[in-house]
Amino acid sequence: MLQIIIQGLLLSGLYALIAVGFTLIFSVGRVLNLAYGAYLMLGGYAFFYVSQTLGMPKLLGVVAAVAVGVIAGLMKHRFIVKPLKGDMVPVEIATLILAVVLQSAVVLMFGDSSKILHSIIPGVVQVGTVSVPYSNVFAMIVSWTVLIALYLFIRKTHLGRAMQAVSMDQKGAAISGVNPDHVNMMVWGISGGLGALGGVFFASYTQLYPAMWVAPLIIAVAVVIVGGIGSIIGTLIVAHIIGFMEVMTTSLIAPELRGVFTMALIIIVLVVSPKGLFGREEIH
Amino acid sequence: MTSNLNLRHAIYWALFAGLLFAMPYLVSKGDLRTMIFALYVGIFAMSWDFLSGRTGYISFGHPFLIGIGAYATAILSYRFDVPVMFSIPLAVIITMVASTMFILPALRIKGSYFALVTLAFMELMYQLVQVIRPDLTGGTRGISGVETITRGAVNGFYLAAFLAFCVALFLWLLTRTRLGAAQSAIGMDEEALKGSGINATKLKLFTFVVSAAVAGLGGAFYVHYLGSIAPRAIFDINFVFTIIVAALLGGAGTITGPLFGAFFLTFLLEYLRPWLPGAERYLIYGGVALVLYMYQPKGMYAIAAKLRAGVMK
Repeated sequence: MLQIIIQGLLLSGLYALIAVGFTLIFSVGRVLNLAYGAYLMLGGYAFFYVSQTLGMPKLLGVVAAVAVGVIAGLMKHRFIVKPLKGDMVPVEIATLILAVVLQSAVVLMFGDSSKILHSIIPGVVQVGTVSVPYSNVFAMIVSWTVLIALYLFIRKTHLGRAMQAVSMDQKGAAISGVNPDHVNMMVWGISGGLGALGGVFFASYTQLYPAMWVAPLIIAVAVVIVGGIGSIIGTLIVAHIIGFMEVMTTSLIAPELRGVFTMALIIIVLVVSPKGLFGREEIH
Repeated sequence: MTSNLNLRHAIYWALFAGLLFAMPYLVSKGDLRTMIFALYVGIFAMSWDFLSGRTGYISFGHPFLIGIGAYATAILSYRFDVPVMFSIPLAVIITMVASTMFILPALRIKGSYFALVTLAFMELMYQLVQVIRPDLTGGTRGISGVETITRGAVNGFYLAAFLAFCVALFLWLLTRTRLGAAQSAIGMDEEALKGSGINATKLKLFTFVVSAAVAGLGGAFYVHYLGSIAPRAIFDINFVFTIIVAALLGGAGTITGPLFGAFFLTFLLEYLRPWLPGAERYLIYGGVALVLYMYQPKGMYAIAAKLRAGVMK
């Protein structure tokens, strides 16, 4: 029981971090970024390259991963979203193609086989009878910190309010002196960074392999759809629902059924309540 | 709309059939095998196009339908010794029934949300197939040793070509009817369609079921050509990618375009093989697809039309 609670909390924090970058783009840019999972892949591999191939400090690896994610996000905005004028369907398809291209680029550079990341902080802590790796605790703390910071950033700062404005009404925001293009660019960058950071943790949770972008994409999609687009609080709640359900199915029913609940939840919620449980389309 | 059919179209289709018929005499056995694969991808791409290219309901889960068709016939013929001539039609019917699951969400949601649901359907199927009744589905490893219908590249080619030709002609004729015109109006303005007194729900159901029938048919014959099936080979996002890109590069909404798109993609991949044996191929292939798509989202059909207009001038 204790094990389920601890594992559920750790996994859910990570899922919330992964999903929040995705929801930002969906809410502000109004497009579905199917290459979102590729940020996680890029982040994971950047961390692997810097900290394990080059042997640099792990913290530097994390920084490098986030930087790669931000750059990837900015480039995606510049070369795909802007030329397609943010049109939903073409952007979705172009990002899907891009994800496949990036996957093959990773195969080319690092090979097909999966890699195991060294833990960011070695060692385990004993909670009752359960031993929890420090890395996972660290991942959860970072996830929560980032989420709270992001929430405050969106609520309290000028830039954050500009993001809210654009997510509500692009034209309205433009009239009141916000440059939607700048805001969009910034959001793509932030989303890339968040995704890459999530990728470092996700890869140390599981493994690093070229096709690792599909699973987190589905999780992000599920959290965002069920939680409602743009809702950070909704994201947090639903990430915990999904995280706990996954841990419970894995440990109580069968490990193979892990994702079944997630898919079923997406389908049911979309059919019953298309706007999600906490749905509005602007960020809040 | 039926007046759209004229002699010129008949000549084009006859030429196309003739070309397919003559193909085994023109190219090597190796190329012929590549073409078989291209033809099946073409069938899937046409099925996708009939649903998504024309109505704007983007399906990211087409392998869900293809997989149901393929698994149904594989299980029937391999586990229960049902003759292929019964198992394939049964598989098509099963796929059509399963496709009505798509219609449920499609009644309420559109655009990105619909795309996501179909993606979820596919992933759900991928996981379920491995866990539920692995004694039937073969679990993670799938089923191998499924009865093959044809022997040799030439026979395989003729079967695939016949199927692809029939599917293309059937879908094309369908789009030429009033029904087809109404169907493509779903993609333009669903509200206006309802306003003009057409039952949009029935029309959508019809579109989904036709698309599913084609996908199931293609999947069923494909598994009897390959002789094996595995979950990761079917319910795979790379497979979705191939189908959608083939349809888009060929020209969405044009039915025959996706067939040519499939040929282009498959041969691009095949001709890169001597120079780039490994993963580099997919990098180039994806890159070419991305650049072409960014340059002309309407596909080769539009580029060809532009060229023709240029020549005519």
